[in-house]
Amino acid sequence: MSIAVTAQASEQSDAQRRGVVAGVIDCDVHPNFANGLRDLTPYMTETWRRRLGIGDSASWSGSFAAASFMLPLDYLYVNTAGAYRSDAAHGEMAPGTDARYTAKHLLDGYGIHRAVLIAGQLLGIGAFPDPEVAATVASAYNEWMSERWLQVDERYRGALAIAPQDPDAAVREIERCANRPGIVAIFMPLHDLLMGERHYYPIYEAAQRHELPICVHPSGTENVFARAPRMAGAPTYYLEWHTALAQIHQSNVLSLLCHGVFERFPKLKVMIAEGGFAWAAETMWKLDRDWQGLRDEVPWVKRPPSEYLLEHVRFSTQPFVEPHRREHLLPLLEMVQAERTLVFSSDYPHWDFDDPSRALAGVPDDLRQRICVENPRELFGERLG
Amino acid sequence: MNRHVIGSAEELPSGSRRVVTLGGRSIGVINAKGRLYAVRNVCPHHGAPLCEGSVAGTMLPSDPHEYRYGREDGVIRCPWHGFEFSLQDGSSLACPDRMRVKTYRVEVEDGDVVVYA
Repeated sequence: MSIAVTAQASEQSDAQRRGVVAGVIDCDVHPNFANGLRDLTPYMTETWRRRLGIGDSASWSGSFAAASFMLPLDYLYVNTAGAYRSDAAHGEMAPGTDARYTAKHLLDGYGIHRAVLIAGQLLGIGAFPDPEVAATVASAYNEWMSERWLQVDERYRGALAIAPQDPDAAVREIERCANRPGIVAIFMPLHDLLMGERHYYPIYEAAQRHELPICVHPSGTENVFARAPRMAGAPTYYLEWHTALAQIHQSNVLSLLCHGVFERFPKLKVMIAEGGFAWAAETMWKLDRDWQGLRDEVPWVKRPPSEYLLEHVRFSTQPFVEPHRREHLLPLLEMVQAERTLVFSSDYPHWDFDDPSRALAGVPDDLRQRICVENPRELFGERLG
Repeated sequence: MNRHVIGSAEELPSGSRRVVTLGGRSIGVINAKGRLYAVRNVCPHHGAPLCEGSVAGTMLPSDPHEYRYGREDGVIRCPWHGFEFSLQDGSSLACPDRMRVKTYRVEVEDGDVVVYA
């Protein structure tokens, strides 16, 4: 009896806490395939089903990696806790594979008003050695996401997946899908070229023209495949690897700033999903200081580089920082100008999920409102609805 | 402000410089291709001896991935962290509104180099 009462009280206080911010925008939610690449076969030509070996293959072939294509992911790093919230499974459905259940579990359950879908198992397609394979998979995914998710619940919004290996194909895909209902961003999988390089400029030009922010996310392939983003050394453990992923985002932000990408594309916005943000404080300070002495190497960086970062780059919050001393949280948020730079994300259904009320519990109401509602609305604009 | 004769103009030919102490302040007097400048010898960043740095031009603000060299002999660069300052008015090239080194009027009068500091 007393346990039940306690549980009820706890539920009420949860509900009250959730009431603090209405209209939460969740900027990083992953829709998953229940059957891997096979889920994309209705959205591919027979030619491509043959090319990928996912057509009418024999029953044994699925267990033979060499007998069919697999999506590049973090196969060499094993998460002992499981990479997904096991409570996000639904009957026979694996976490994040059922759009209706996800709407009930995540959107209803946590008061999420809009959820931006960022390619579940496609995070690593930047590592495909064949650009056409990556482009075909991305294109099929975009059809699948529209049909199986965006049309299922009006609260879903989508990040259009593209293949970063082939910018011309990526631009064609952007032109094909940019104006579809529910598209609010471009998901650009990472590969082995840093984001400031000219290779990507056709993509940035199209993104800017359509007013779609570029979203990047850990690929899950870091150091696993030759064309995956590279980190320093080869970590031994998942814990080590997972914590080190921020390296890649730091390098990409530096690359964008030093190449003057935001001088060239003054309306371009970039969202770094799940890349951390505390490092941005030192990066801005060091970059500004060194730039004062080395400005002549990158004379197109006309203002302190941190100014471009603060105007153009946004960081999704999850996994939110948990400083050893609670009183360090607010100074840290001040250092990274969280009122401009942070956008809320849950990363559902991944294991390191953040609940908007719990994870941001130490953040003052007005700042939480900025992070959960206003900053995402500014980032995605009117398309968010 | 006091008038200081620091020597004859012949002793400060083009490309040379002298650091003098005037009223307790270290000041560099620089002849850059025939043009005289007097600059406080203390970098406003970390106090380095600024006037021991190089005098040259620099890359002008440009479009991405383009270089345009200019301001030849108009820029002094701190020997420590490479911060650049305009010899003309002492403003930092990177952050002209936020950082500036003091500059002084310098003239050649009757064959003497005169600094007003």
